Amino acid sequence: MNLKFKRSWLILLSFVLMLGILAACSGGSDNTSTEGEKENEEKETGPQMGGTVVGAMDTAPSGSFNPIFYEEAYEANIIEFVYEGLVSQNNSLEFVPNLAKEWKYNEDHSEITFTLEENVKWHDGEPFTAHDVVFTYKTMSDPDYIEAGGVRASEYASRLLGYKEYSEGQTDEFQGVVAEDDHTVTFKFAEPNVIALSDASFSIIPEHIFKDIPVADIPAAPESREPGKVIGTGPFKFTEMVQGEQYVLEKNADYWQGEPYLDSVVWKVVDQAVILGLLENGEIDFVADPNGFQAADYEAVAAMQNVEIIEQPDFGYQIMGMMHNHRAAGDMTLDPSKWTVNENLKDPRVRQAIAYAIDRQAIIDGLLYGRGIVQNSPIATQFWAYDDQNPPAYEHDQDKANQLLDEAGYVDVDGDGFREDPNGEKWVLNLNYPLGNQIRERSAPIIEEFLEEVGINIDLRQPKEAAAYFEDLEKNSQDWDLYLVGWSLSSGDPSPEGLWGSKDFYNYSRWNNPEADKLLAEAVKPPEAFEQDYRKEIYSKWQVEFGEDLPALILYAANSLWAHNSRMKGIDVLPYQFHNNPHLWYVTE
Amino acid sequence: MFQYIIRRILVFIPMLFVLTVIVFALMQAAPGDAFTGRIDPTVDPEVYEQRREALGLNDPIHIQYWNWIKGAVVGDFGESLIYKGRAVSDLIAERFSNTLNLGVMTLIITIVVSIPIGIYSARHPYTPLDYGATAFGFFGLATPNFFFGLVAIYIFSIKLGWLPAHGTVSKPGIDGFELFFDKIRHLILPSITLGLAGTASYMRYMRSEVLDVLGSDYIRTARAKGMTENTVLYKHTLRNALIPIITLLGFEVGVLLGGAVITESVFQFPGLGTLFITSIGNRDYPVIMAINLMLGFFVLLGNLLADIFYSIVDPRIRYD
Amino acid sequence: MELKPQETTSTGPELNKNTVEKGMSPHRIALKRFMKNKLAVASVVILLIIIIAVLCAPLFTDHNPTKSNLTMIERSPSAEHPLGNDSSGRDNLARLLYGGRISLIVGFSAMVFTLVIGVTLGSIAGYYGGKVDAIIMRATDLMLMLPFLVLCLTVVAILEKVTVGILVMIIAFTSWPNLTRIIRGTFLTLREQEFILGAKAIGVSDIRIIFKHFIPNAIGPIVVNATLMMATYIIVESALSFIGFGIPQPTPSWGNMISEAQSIRILRNSPEAWIPPGLAILMTVLCINFIGDGLRDAFDPKSNRR
Repeated sequence: MNLKFKRSWLILLSFVLMLGILAACSGGSDNTSTEGEKENEEKETGPQMGGTVVGAMDTAPSGSFNPIFYEEAYEANIIEFVYEGLVSQNNSLEFVPNLAKEWKYNEDHSEITFTLEENVKWHDGEPFTAHDVVFTYKTMSDPDYIEAGGVRASEYASRLLGYKEYSEGQTDEFQGVVAEDDHTVTFKFAEPNVIALSDASFSIIPEHIFKDIPVADIPAAPESREPGKVIGTGPFKFTEMVQGEQYVLEKNADYWQGEPYLDSVVWKVVDQAVILGLLENGEIDFVADPNGFQAADYEAVAAMQNVEIIEQPDFGYQIMGMMHNHRAAGDMTLDPSKWTVNENLKDPRVRQAIAYAIDRQAIIDGLLYGRGIVQNSPIATQFWAYDDQNPPAYEHDQDKANQLLDEAGYVDVDGDGFREDPNGEKWVLNLNYPLGNQIRERSAPIIEEFLEEVGINIDLRQPKEAAAYFEDLEKNSQDWDLYLVGWSLSSGDPSPEGLWGSKDFYNYSRWNNPEADKLLAEAVKPPEAFEQDYRKEIYSKWQVEFGEDLPALILYAANSLWAHNSRMKGIDVLPYQFHNNPHLWYVTE
Repeated sequence: MFQYIIRRILVFIPMLFVLTVIVFALMQAAPGDAFTGRIDPTVDPEVYEQRREALGLNDPIHIQYWNWIKGAVVGDFGESLIYKGRAVSDLIAERFSNTLNLGVMTLIITIVVSIPIGIYSARHPYTPLDYGATAFGFFGLATPNFFFGLVAIYIFSIKLGWLPAHGTVSKPGIDGFELFFDKIRHLILPSITLGLAGTASYMRYMRSEVLDVLGSDYIRTARAKGMTENTVLYKHTLRNALIPIITLLGFEVGVLLGGAVITESVFQFPGLGTLFITSIGNRDYPVIMAINLMLGFFVLLGNLLADIFYSIVDPRIRYD
Repeated sequence: MELKPQETTSTGPELNKNTVEKGMSPHRIALKRFMKNKLAVASVVILLIIIIAVLCAPLFTDHNPTKSNLTMIERSPSAEHPLGNDSSGRDNLARLLYGGRISLIVGFSAMVFTLVIGVTLGSIAGYYGGKVDAIIMRATDLMLMLPFLVLCLTVVAILEKVTVGILVMIIAFTSWPNLTRIIRGTFLTLREQEFILGAKAIGVSDIRIIFKHFIPNAIGPIVVNATLMMATYIIVESALSFIGFGIPQPTPSWGNMISEAQSIRILRNSPEAWIPPGLAILMTVLCINFIGDGLRDAFDPKSNRR
């Protein structure tokens, strides 16, 4: 209980801090921020025009700067300054107007109509209209889109009316998004849609630039890759690039929300090893998404006079999955009736004992230097849907673990220090893990030790690189028991579907719990699901179900650790990303 | 001679062919492909399946190979599976220039250090400097170059702060001489590291060659004719001693390009070696195939040049 | 240990025909010369000390080299942990000692395997010549072109576990061409020697000629190359571990201990963690090289210049 209290207190604290920062930059007069003194000082000087800030990322973007085709966070670092969507999210993850001023649903929530801002212009001076919105979604639904390398359709376009027919080439008529007039656009969905706003939040690309390029050629087109040719509506224009080294964003003086304070934002690709040094001597101003800085360096960064740290929970977590069922070799369908039960982990008491045996807080304190949180259900803690109270917390308790295992009949009969199964047969659980995340790699032998302390014989398998690991996990995991994997979560909607439904591809544990499935379906079923409180209640039940049945133990959620030079002001981070309203960023000098 | 060269070059073709078949088969035998490592709950796995289908990754291996080699013979190595929309040749060209800089710098350091010291050691054997050089030779060959690289970073970059330890340029946006010198500064530590073993062995080699030549009859004759020590040394000895060295350098081309993998990863140097390692992890077949083909070609070419050079400088060797 | 091959092959009266010194077998002479080389003898002693230290690791440390400790992550040296702890809280001294086992075993076994492959193919090529020779030589050319890393990676990916045995096989399988060429070269010159021609003329079987005449006469280059190969393989093993393609964690090896220094923080703050394994490799390889040089001089009557 104590730990839990501490945690929620920490979260609370980070929210308070965030609000403080928010208040400081809004420049309003009616707040009682803890940083009152600083704020007064700022009010006197006020945001100034001009200046450049330099951001650092440790890996070069692959070079696709088209929102509908990019895939990596490094590319997003540039795209997010250049493109905008109809709606965006605020600090509490609610959708707020952006290119769309307002919206309204139809009766059954199967349609949503947006009224667009009228004075928005693309970087080349062309007006932004409803036709651009239609074009964007139409392109994402195009039969050639996926083959050309696009991966966003399933998340944003697949629920649109007629998506299937259009994307399979059965019809030329795109019904999903319709322009009522130049500044009114309606999204039509195949069914009433609980996450309509999330679906409509995708960045809009200009029709007049791309309309004559076949969809298959868009990824390689200069309009998707080259500075000066990449055109958006955002506060900054992508104007210059040294491939793999430097990316320059210059202000869009005609920005519809007002001229940005900064002249430019420059991204430099700098090796992780030297980022902190450059931050300290002021050559770079901020390091944030996607990797920030390492927890082990926290003290060093905190000691820098001119640098401020922003720390908040990440949207994602590392889990240790427990195989409930196995899919037969060669079976690529998602049909639970064909699965076979994993006898090794069949008893829920065994899974619970495993959860009790692992000291997750110790892992966080040791490997993450305390910069992370334990969470007890697989919904990001930032969401309204996250239930901190009801799901079992599984605080480290070896006695409890031993007791549960004894009860379940797993006892050491031959005196080798390891428990045998209830039939007295040898009982070994294998633990599989991928390479690619050093902290996760280090956690595997530690988990092995925790489990062996309660007498569970663990076969720690050889770690594999991601390509080989997931191939095995998807196809050849017929003898797997425990596996490590990390998930990063979407900030749009808290629904755990996609990872934990019995028919979800990524439900690697092959968890098949009809009760849980039913709850997941109810949580998004109209019309009740339009009430957030209703959804919250259902998700709470689901989280309890998850915690008791344990298809996975959520090991930890690492904190995002971002740092910026104190001369940089106006920063208003979102729970899931550092950049937010960069037109309000400014520097003091 | 000309016929010999033509014949040797013709032999390249089946050799490279077999090389590509083997590498292709190995890569196919490795589990997973370019998309298995990408697990994103917001992306429908069906999407990746469609892309596999579109890229032909689901085709039988011989068809995939045929498609690859069809392009390769006309110089089209396809597009990277990871760096979407980027031609493999483009990607390699970008990294190759860095690796080439590193290789050239390494060669220069190797030659500038090993030859004079080797000659000095031979002319003044059993002096302190000779002993020092010999000791250096032994250490140079016995030190794993990644360890040497780390020690170099620790001393020259971290403790003394003299030289940069990572990357190729310190800040983007500079040009002209500033850029040139900045690049050189970034190359110093990696090229010393990469050249360590080579320098050590050439030094030892040079020393024994010069000793051999100095002791041979014709040098004694030349000396008897009244030529000065230096004339003898530079006119006769060096020319003869350099021949095997230069020949060895021919062999070294492939070694330098391929051997840079480890050095590049120590210094996080954006060259072919690091591209190769990440491409293996990503299962970016087109890139792996192209790099392998290129390295194989350079190894063969290096061997050929070495042989040709042999026969030019030593007419007793004849190929026909 | 390294001297063993000499002793086991040091007989065979027929093969003394081409030696100059009388009364002693050439291998006895070589041994005598070797013992005079102080550097080489000192290296044997140091190497033996290293071997004893890693084989008797439990005598020097009570810590388990694979046991993580969450409260001791990246700790500086203390009396209890003279070399500090690594990024998983494991004792660096224990890892250094136990890690040496892997390096030495891999180096030694890979050398033996390479010898078996290289000597076999080299003798066949050199003895029979002609088509067989051509095929084997083309195969060596091809192997020299093969990307070592791709091979390692693929094997690592296909197999469940990279064990010492597998690593040894991979190294041997990719490294035999050089030795094969050397053995072949030696055999080609031997082939035309009169005593071989004589043996052939009187109908001695091929296998017997190879084993009784060729190999003993090529023993010098074989032994010298074997030591140098072992030194190289110790470096190769550590380099593979360094870039993550070797023996996986948590099993310690000198290479994967050094690879911790890829983190700039450990590189900067904890030299005690990565310098000792580096020096250990350096010392071991240096000793083996000195021994190899000693053997070369001992076997080669002409090599009187240092």
